[in-house]
Amino acid sequence: MSLGTKEYFVKETFKSIKRNQLMSFASVSTVAVSLLVLGMFLLMVMNANNLAKYLESQVQVSVYMEDGASQNAIATTEKSLKALPGVVKVTSINKDQAMAKFKKRLGDQNRLLDALGEENPFPNSFDVQVDKPERIAQIVPKIDEMKGVETAKFGQEVVEHMFKLTELLRMGGMLLVFLLALATLFIISNTIRITVFARRREVSIMKYVGATNWFIRWPFLLEGMFLGFAGSVVATLVLMQIYLALQEKVYTTLAFFPLIPAWPFLGYLSLFLIITGTAIGAAGSCIPLRKFLDV
Amino acid sequence: MKGISKTYPSGAVALRGVDIHIKPGEFVFVVGPSGAGKSTFIKMLFREVIPTTGQLFVDGVDVMSLRPEEIPFLRRQLGIIFQDYRLLNERTVYDNIAFAMQVIETPYRQIKRRVASVLDLVGLRSRSGDYPGELSGGEQQRVAIARAIVNDPLLVIADEPTGNLDPETSRDIMRIFSQINNSGTTIVMATHDKNIVDTMGKRVIAIEDGYIVRDDAKGVYGYEPGH
Repeated sequence: MSLGTKEYFVKETFKSIKRNQLMSFASVSTVAVSLLVLGMFLLMVMNANNLAKYLESQVQVSVYMEDGASQNAIATTEKSLKALPGVVKVTSINKDQAMAKFKKRLGDQNRLLDALGEENPFPNSFDVQVDKPERIAQIVPKIDEMKGVETAKFGQEVVEHMFKLTELLRMGGMLLVFLLALATLFIISNTIRITVFARRREVSIMKYVGATNWFIRWPFLLEGMFLGFAGSVVATLVLMQIYLALQEKVYTTLAFFPLIPAWPFLGYLSLFLIITGTAIGAAGSCIPLRKFLDV
Repeated sequence: MKGISKTYPSGAVALRGVDIHIKPGEFVFVVGPSGAGKSTFIKMLFREVIPTTGQLFVDGVDVMSLRPEEIPFLRRQLGIIFQDYRLLNERTVYDNIAFAMQVIETPYRQIKRRVASVLDLVGLRSRSGDYPGELSGGEQQRVAIARAIVNDPLLVIADEPTGNLDPETSRDIMRIFSQINNSGTTIVMATHDKNIVDTMGKRVIAIEDGYIVRDDAKGVYGYEPGH
């Protein structure tokens, strides 16, 4: 393909987009909205997955003592815990420390605790760290049986809930994304249909003077791809702003929440969305062309 | 063309067992009443219409067995001219002609040179920057002729090229066709114009009701004007 021909294709593409401003705008917006929703779902699903994995990889069990447990019982329990296989570290947290930690987490809102008065509802507890996540399932029943232990908690239940949620998000998201992709395909193919229709005379003359189908197709294909590309860029930019803002918010208020770091995560996501958008654009322009090229 | 027949899906028969040989460099008129099969005959040559039976060769190429992707290359050997000019109104005279070269990916420089030379041939060099809407019918048809010959076709196919023009303009147009023919290009022209056919004294093929009823080397129109 010569340089002059490429130049011709690009010129024709932009001429056509300009001529069709309203439809082009509608296409770009639809692509943008669809991909934005797709992107949001991806963000949610991936973060939920990440959270579930994070929780699963936790090698910590929280052991809560019964409220009336004596200092003696507490010391014995600590010793027993240390003796369990795979236990690396046992940190004792007494009632006051637990209260102080909670106050700190509440930050500005620690006055809520005033309602409690002098009461301290926190039990004495231990944070037990093990060497491998698989150990947890073995030692938790043993801890539960220890005297003076109220309960031993670890991430398992939460993890199961998280996986269920992720699954639901994924399925709902897939369906929605599929429908939106269909809508996008439809509107892009309609835009191209209008373009082709407006230029059917040109197309027929091209055929009479011996243009190949690919030569005729390229400008329309480029137009569709450009519309898809433009829409996905808009979606990507909006999504980035949303995620960065969310990240800021999470870091200041929910510091313990394992949000996937923005980079390079957003980079991959953007690349994926842009490729998807451009591909939908290309596919959308191929549909109406098939009919018109048949001269 | 050997034993060519065409029956349209509607059941209408346009051509019946047509055998014709057109030699390179010939100038051939195709005449006959409306609906006799002239258009079908013309359209077969550039494979817009595919014969139902028979054999059709253009420049040695079996047109009927062409695969779809080969059709463009057949058409590059042909220059096609229509009664309604079929120019692109939003492009200048120059661009309309250059367009035919662009779509077959001719280098830019060659386009410039060649377009200038065909504009000279049809006498429209000074109008190259004008739009088709600013030209008279005769001038528009001359642009269409320039577009048809710009790629040096072996065969120029013209379907009623003077159908919309007054007699004097038609004569000008025919002078250009003669010139093109003199340079060795074959011309096949369907027409209703008695004056033109009779004054040119070229081969005339008359089609009636799908049959070839006459094929004279130096023929006349043979119908009453307005037929």
